Amino acid sequence: MDTPVERPLRILLAKLGMDTHTVGVTIIAHALREAGMEVIFTGLKQTPEMVAAAAVQEDVDVVGISTLSAGHMRNLPKLARLLREAGAGDKLLLAGGVIPQEDKALLTEAGVHKIFTMGADTREIVAYLRGWWTERQAADAA
Amino acid sequence: MTVGIASVEIATGVIAGRIAAGARAIRWLDDRDPRGAAVLGAIYGATGRAHIVGITGPPGAGKSTLSDMLVAELRRRNRRIGVIAIDPSSPFTGGAILGDRVRMARHTLDPHVFIRSIGTRGAAGGLSRSTHDAALVFDAMGYDIVLIETVGVGQDEIDVVNLAHTTIIVGVPGLGDEVQAVKAGLMEAGEIFVLNKADRDGYEAAHRQFGLMLHLRANARPDDSWAPPLLRAVASRDEGADVIADALEAHLAHLKAGDGFARRSGRRACAQMVNLVHARAAAALLRLPEATRLLDAVSACEIDPYSAAERLLAGSRNDSEGAA
Repeated sequence: MDTPVERPLRILLAKLGMDTHTVGVTIIAHALREAGMEVIFTGLKQTPEMVAAAAVQEDVDVVGISTLSAGHMRNLPKLARLLREAGAGDKLLLAGGVIPQEDKALLTEAGVHKIFTMGADTREIVAYLRGWWTERQAADAA
Repeated sequence: MTVGIASVEIATGVIAGRIAAGARAIRWLDDRDPRGAAVLGAIYGATGRAHIVGITGPPGAGKSTLSDMLVAELRRRNRRIGVIAIDPSSPFTGGAILGDRVRMARHTLDPHVFIRSIGTRGAAGGLSRSTHDAALVFDAMGYDIVLIETVGVGQDEIDVVNLAHTTIIVGVPGLGDEVQAVKAGLMEAGEIFVLNKADRDGYEAAHRQFGLMLHLRANARPDDSWAPPLLRAVASRDEGADVIADALEAHLAHLKAGDGFARRSGRRACAQMVNLVHARAAAALLRLPEATRLLDAVSACEIDPYSAAERLLAGSRNDSEGAA
C-alpha cells in the first residue's frame, strides 16, 4: 500500500434525556479536536437507543456521555447493554459530569469503562484516551 | 492483521445491507486501511444503482437542515437513504468536530436511513478524501439515494459535481452583491437551485439575481437539455421539501432518458482512478532516496522546484527503462 494508514480516534459525544447543560461537553469536544481526534456530536435529548444506533453507524471507537442531571443510573446501564446487543460492546464507554462516588461501582459493573467526575482536567481525559487508543491499536495489530 | 478473511466478511455484510459492516468498511476506507480497498474490490459489482445527490452551498446556508427535511420527504416516498455529512478537519491537528447529526437526529432510529459523519482529512474542494468510497459502500448496501452534504464551500470548491448524478446548490438571501454571485463558481455547477431561508429579507432580490444567472447560463449552453429549476425553501419550517424531491426525481428521469446516468457514473469512476494514480505515483516517487536529496536542495534554494521535479521524473524514467 502506497499511502500510510491514518487512524484518528473517533469518539461520539452525547447527552441523554432532558439534560441540557452543554458547557462541559462543548469544552471536551474542542479539547479532543485539538488533540487530533474526530468528535461526532449528536446533540441533546438523546435516548440510549439513539446513541447506540449512532455509535454503530459512525463506527466510533469511544462513546462519551456527559451527564449533569441525575439520569445516569437509568440511562448508562441501558446504553451499555444496547451497545453490547448491537455487537458494539468493544467500544469504550465513558461518562463524565455529576456522578456521585457511591454510583461508580454500579456503573462500572454495568459496563461503563471509565468515569470522570467534576473537576476533571481536559488534559487528563486526552491522556487517558491516547493511552487507551495506543493499547487498542497495538492489540488490533497483534 | 489478516486482510483477506476480515475483508470478505465485511464485504458480504455490505452487500447484505448490514449497517455495522457498512460502517466498518467506510472506516477502513477513510483510514486508508488496506482492508478497505479489498472490500471495495469485492463490492464494486454491486454498485451503480444508487442515485447520488450532492448538497452544497456556502457556510450557514442551511445545508444540514435542508438535508434533514429532504430525508424526511424521501422517506415519505419510501426511499432508503444513505447520508454522508462532511465537516472540516483541522489542518493543524487533524481533529474535527462533526456536528451534522444534530440537525438530523429525528432519523437516527429509522432503519432505512444511515447517516455517516466524515471529516475532510486534508481534502480540499468541499469533500473528504473518502467521500467517493463511502458513496460506493452505501450504493452496494442497496440505498436508493446517497445524499452527500459538503462542507460549507466558497467560490470554487465544487468537487461534489464530479461525484454526484445530481447536485443541489443551496443559496440564501443577503450573502452579497451581484459580483459575488457572478464570481461564484457555484452558479455554473449544479442541476437544482434552492433558495433557503426564503422568509428572510432580501429573498426577492436574491431570487432575481439567481434567476438572471441561470438565464445567462442557459444562453451560454444552448445544447443543455436540462433547465435547472430555482426553488424556494424554509428548511427550518419544513417548507419546500416536496418540490425539491420532485425536482430530484425529474432530473433522475432526465438522466435515465438518455445516457446521462451511466455517463456520469463512468466519468466519476475515471476521475477516481486518475486521482488514485496521481496520489500513488507521487507517493512512490517521493519515497525515492533521490527525492529526499532534491527536496533538501530545493529547501536550501540550490535548485528551483521545476528543475528538481523534472530531474526526479527523469531519474525514475531511466530506472524503469533500466529495469526493462
